[in-house]
Amino acid sequence: MKPLPKHVRQRWRYLAVGIETWPDVTIDRRAFQRHLWFAAQNLLGDVGSAATDLSVMQFGHDEGTGSAIVRTRRGSVSDARAVLTCLSEVDGNPIGLRVRGVSGTVRACEEKYLGGRGEATEHGNVAFEGAERPAISRDSHVDVRVETEFVGATQRDIS
Amino acid sequence: MMYAAVHTRPDGDSTVARLALTAAEYGFDGLVIRNHGDALSDYDRGAIADTYGIDVVDGVEIRADDPSRASGFVGNHRDRRTLVAVHGGDPEMNRFAVEQPAVDVLAHPLAGDGDIDHVTIKTAAENGVHLEWSLRDVLRTDGGQRVEALRNLRKLHDLLSEYDAPYVVSGDPSSHLQLRTPRDLLAVGEALDYATEWIETGLSAWGDIASRNRDRASDAFVEPGVRRGRDTESE
Repeated sequence: MKPLPKHVRQRWRYLAVGIETWPDVTIDRRAFQRHLWFAAQNLLGDVGSAATDLSVMQFGHDEGTGSAIVRTRRGSVSDARAVLTCLSEVDGNPIGLRVRGVSGTVRACEEKYLGGRGEATEHGNVAFEGAERPAISRDSHVDVRVETEFVGATQRDIS
Repeated sequence: MMYAAVHTRPDGDSTVARLALTAAEYGFDGLVIRNHGDALSDYDRGAIADTYGIDVVDGVEIRADDPSRASGFVGNHRDRRTLVAVHGGDPEMNRFAVEQPAVDVLAHPLAGDGDIDHVTIKTAAENGVHLEWSLRDVLRTDGGQRVEALRNLRKLHDLLSEYDAPYVVSGDPSSHLQLRTPRDLLAVGEALDYATEWIETGLSAWGDIASRNRDRASDAFVEPGVRRGRDTESE
């Protein structure tokens, strides 16, 4: 089939999404896409999820932090945002999501909102609540392992 | 000025500092610490506020089995904390909380088997008790539980609007991963068909309560109802 003339093609908006999880969790693109679709279906139903037409264009997640570019139809940005906000876990792992910005192209989305990420993560022991504990830190964010669970802390909390 | 009301370690999974850092990154102006009375955390409010450039409000959510015990807790905490909330969701506790002018917020009144009616709402309005319009179950559950939560939110919204009663809005997170930005919460409100102002007003109401209470606790007040100096408004 011939490509549609420009003025009748679908217009898209691209949402730059910041992702955060506990550091021992790794999420792949497929799992994220699947849960995003479930979330859309649950929140907006078949009609709404078809109307927002969400798809994950880019995805990266490692050691508890990552980002994604999610595409939606122009005019459905608010619904897309609502769906992302209600996505609270992926495969049972809690996930923190935040829309950093919205652009009309993938490239602009990357350059404006996803640049400058990826501060180095450091592994090491820290003193937290009176004991030496393993931790993973990134910038001033520190995730400390306390027994089997992680605790979200910052440089202020460790000494 | 939008505020996030949160549970911190040991009530939640993140420290006060981590939630302050994340909330500041997310564009909140303030953070209300609403740990339950039996899981308070120890933190340096001023230092954390300075480090992350965000207002930190020292609050508590009183959880008790019956009104008489809750009443004792309200008395204990009122003088020491900026914001006092009561863990609602039980008809008896809901009724108790709305009758106390010393209570700032009745948390999640419709959770569990809690219910409210026009009398509760009117009493709350008279006593200045804010009812919490919590997005907790909308953000983190689905299916039947979420449908139930949505129905409750609608009922609460309609009653609050009808009687012009005060309310607060929150996502009630208990870790930095559950926190969502104000902008994203507004989008959820829009998807549920609530006006942007509805959510905005509720998010800033936390801050309004905090500044009113700080003002009351300041030296300008000699005793409840008696302010030092001239009342410029009445002249």
